[in-house]
Amino acid sequence: MTDKRSKLRRIIMDTRTLPTLPSVINKLNSLSDNEKSSIQEMAKIVSSDQVLSARILRLANSPSYGFYRVSTISNAMILLGVNVVKSLALSSSIFAIMEKDSIGLWEHSLAVGTVANLIARKLGLPECEEIATAGLLHDIGKVIISIKCSEAEKDIIRLVHEKRIYTMEAERETIDTDHAEVGGWLSKSWFLPDKLSEPIAFHHDVAGSVNHRIKTAVVHIADVLICAGGFGNSGETFVPPVQKIAWDTLKLNEQILAELVDETEDKLVEVKNFCLEMMGD
Amino acid sequence: MQKIPLLHAKAEMTLARDVFRGNLPVGFPLCGKGTKLTDDLIARFESMDVKTIYVEGHPVWEEGERSVADLLHDLDGRFSKTLQNPLNALLYDTYKAHLTKLMEATSDRQAK
Repeated sequence: MTDKRSKLRRIIMDTRTLPTLPSVINKLNSLSDNEKSSIQEMAKIVSSDQVLSARILRLANSPSYGFYRVSTISNAMILLGVNVVKSLALSSSIFAIMEKDSIGLWEHSLAVGTVANLIARKLGLPECEEIATAGLLHDIGKVIISIKCSEAEKDIIRLVHEKRIYTMEAERETIDTDHAEVGGWLSKSWFLPDKLSEPIAFHHDVAGSVNHRIKTAVVHIADVLICAGGFGNSGETFVPPVQKIAWDTLKLNEQILAELVDETEDKLVEVKNFCLEMMGD
Repeated sequence: MQKIPLLHAKAEMTLARDVFRGNLPVGFPLCGKGTKLTDDLIARFESMDVKTIYVEGHPVWEEGERSVADLLHDLDGRFSKTLQNPLNALLYDTYKAHLTKLMEATSDRQAK
């Protein structure tokens, strides 16, 4: 690692100013790893955080999940499953960090998460919720760069427009690293599992993902689809190249792509309405 | 698929989502997706406090909404850097076909 990059890594990863995950998520993680813990115990932990509880109930009652009148956290956990609630808890914490920052990026991330879930279900992949969470978090590095290097961020935005290049290229030119790598560093410091940290760190370089290449490929394709449809604002002016390794890994073809584009556009109508509702709060 | 206020609903439009009383997804749906709207059905929704519905296609163009021609122009811009990549070219063609289908559906309706 170059001096500049390692210095930057120290600045970025300075834990005193790094956004932290609520302790409830760590407690939830350790409880769910223990086979003897019960849903009630976990629900009690979640219920101790009223903001988080409200968000989980709101998301569990949203039409996208299709359950009606979920009024207790333990019911939400039984109906949705512990992993889904963990994903929701993580996602809502990320929203709390992102909301202050950029609406456009928030919309983009929410759309990528939704479409990653759509792709995973369409292809019959396991762990669809984890894939959706990875999609939601894929650009978290951009949030950290914006928080920790606000001056450099202005240069990055300027370079993207002046030179007509991708954000990643502008980031490397300006801070000698990029949002995918920063996202990877952050997920390590948050002790996120590899199935989340790999798609975050390699969504622009699917070949670099060794253990969770399928999940990474889904997030990559979802990201490209959302950029292609022009939904939200990830900071990119141009659609990134579709990586052949992602296409081959998921065994995509012309017909599946056409169906995905139609279904994605339908899903985005719901995502847009959800974003408008959340912003209205 | 488009979410429209019930005020803009017209006979012959097709529901893309189930419709529930008072727009709350609770209980049995009043009407299932895939149903073709009639004037009677729209009047019944009104009496049951349904405010918005999801319909197939994009039948209502609201003020301030971008035209399909504008959307196609933006699409060209977004793909201008990567069209030489065969997979991006395929994705571009797929999106263009999707938007063109939307445009044809809109002009058919306007002609009617």
